[in-house]
Amino acid sequence: MSYGGRNVLDKVDLDVHQGEILVLLGGSGSGKTTLLKNVLALAKPETGSITIHGVDITGCSQSELGAVRRSIGVAFQAAALFNSLTVEDNVALPLRELTGLADSTIKLVVRLKLLAVGLSDAGSLYPPELSGGMRKRAAVARAMALDPEILIFDEPSAGLDPIVSAGLDELILFLKRSFGMTILVVTHELESAFRIADRVAMLYKGRLIAVDKKEQFAGNGHPRIRQFLDRQPDAMPRVAAEEFIAAYMEAKDDD
Amino acid sequence: MSFLEQVGKAAIVQVEDAGALAMQFWSVVRKLPRLLPIVGARRRWCSTVQQMLAIGASALPMSGMMSLCTGFILALQGASELRKYGALEFVVALVAIGFTRELGPLITALSVSGRSASAISAEIGTMVVTEEIDALRVMGLDPVEFTLAPKYLAALITIPCLTILSTLCGVFAGYLFLAFSMDMSLATYFHAVAEAILLRDVGFMLVKSLVFATIIVHVGCLEGMRVRGGPEAIGHATTAAVVKSTFLIIFADLAATAVFYLMGWSATT
Repeated sequence: MSYGGRNVLDKVDLDVHQGEILVLLGGSGSGKTTLLKNVLALAKPETGSITIHGVDITGCSQSELGAVRRSIGVAFQAAALFNSLTVEDNVALPLRELTGLADSTIKLVVRLKLLAVGLSDAGSLYPPELSGGMRKRAAVARAMALDPEILIFDEPSAGLDPIVSAGLDELILFLKRSFGMTILVVTHELESAFRIADRVAMLYKGRLIAVDKKEQFAGNGHPRIRQFLDRQPDAMPRVAAEEFIAAYMEAKDDD
Repeated sequence: MSFLEQVGKAAIVQVEDAGALAMQFWSVVRKLPRLLPIVGARRRWCSTVQQMLAIGASALPMSGMMSLCTGFILALQGASELRKYGALEFVVALVAIGFTRELGPLITALSVSGRSASAISAEIGTMVVTEEIDALRVMGLDPVEFTLAPKYLAALITIPCLTILSTLCGVFAGYLFLAFSMDMSLATYFHAVAEAILLRDVGFMLVKSLVFATIIVHVGCLEGMRVRGGPEAIGHATTAAVVKSTFLIIFADLAATAVFYLMGWSATT
């Protein structure tokens, strides 16, 4: 996968096992979002294949893709709730549009989903009336509406305080335990990653540099993984540092 | 970059715009049957009704007032010249024909363009930025059917209605002027109006309003869908939507009037 001649993803080979939580780590610009877009069939890779439930989504028909998409729920980074609809209507949307269920059944399913994410009292609220954590939970409820086998979380902890973030981690673990879902989490929050993951994968400059159980991953000696886990900054380029000092001295002399 | 390269680059951009508009138009038209009550998708017509209120009903006061003022201006300016030749009664034909063929559809389209093209591009641009469009795709819902098509159907219904109402406002302004200056009665005025305009003028007005509705909605939607980045990009998209739709409306009006004239339909008998 490339943009403007620059390879964003290259030779990525990754399996997600049924019933596990796989956390995909990576810094900014590592290709996480592009990989997610590929998996969700929002962007087509130039080469290679992505197989979900035995269907290669890079070359399947629209009806096959629709069936695959029904088995996947996605909680987007910004929640992506529709502001003109209440939380209940947001969760009910895929049920109304994609199933022939009666309204009474849809109401019941919506109530159950909101109960599962701890939002049973917030159904009549509109998304702008919700806190950041509630919006993420509402997004999870909508992602679960069609009882998907796979749940995908894009940066679930982004913009949340540590307490709300920990609550969301608990919710992800609860969903795995209770519904046996296969869960893929894209994040760069280390604490959250090691709390929920069965396995951890890491992308660096578009390449997958490690996929391992979280205990083995924590001990991985790859310099980039160590730098990431130890939260070490990139060294400032020498020329840039010298230029900075020269500019600083010049400014000081002018004063 | 040389002058020729600049011209070439600008031409490529315009061709790309035209191609994108044509593709979007076709994909929206294919989805229109899904919006109809009974035969269409469940409850989808509700969003069309919401859009009709947003695009049509709320634009009525502004386009009505603009037409009323323009009708009065046209009557005043026309009268000042026609009075010299003792032909003040021809003000009726001037206002009636001018508004039915040109000013009614144009003023309505420009007022709706200023309000709705920007609102549509901002709404869709925000949906792109907040990943709502991606969420629809991932849920297996078609963003074209869900967001674009209801707006287009609403505009196809409301903009011709607005055009008729705003033309009536403009023509009525002509009556107000003649009632004050010539003591003309309402019945006499509207009898003269009915004699001045032909059915093809009304048909021409409605066809133009449908073309303008198409331009306003599709330019707004296309600019919204092209938004990449954050709030600043949404601002650029709304500006581009208003500028492009206003230019295209005037250009389409010129083309339609030229065809009308060349076909010999401009004769009043």
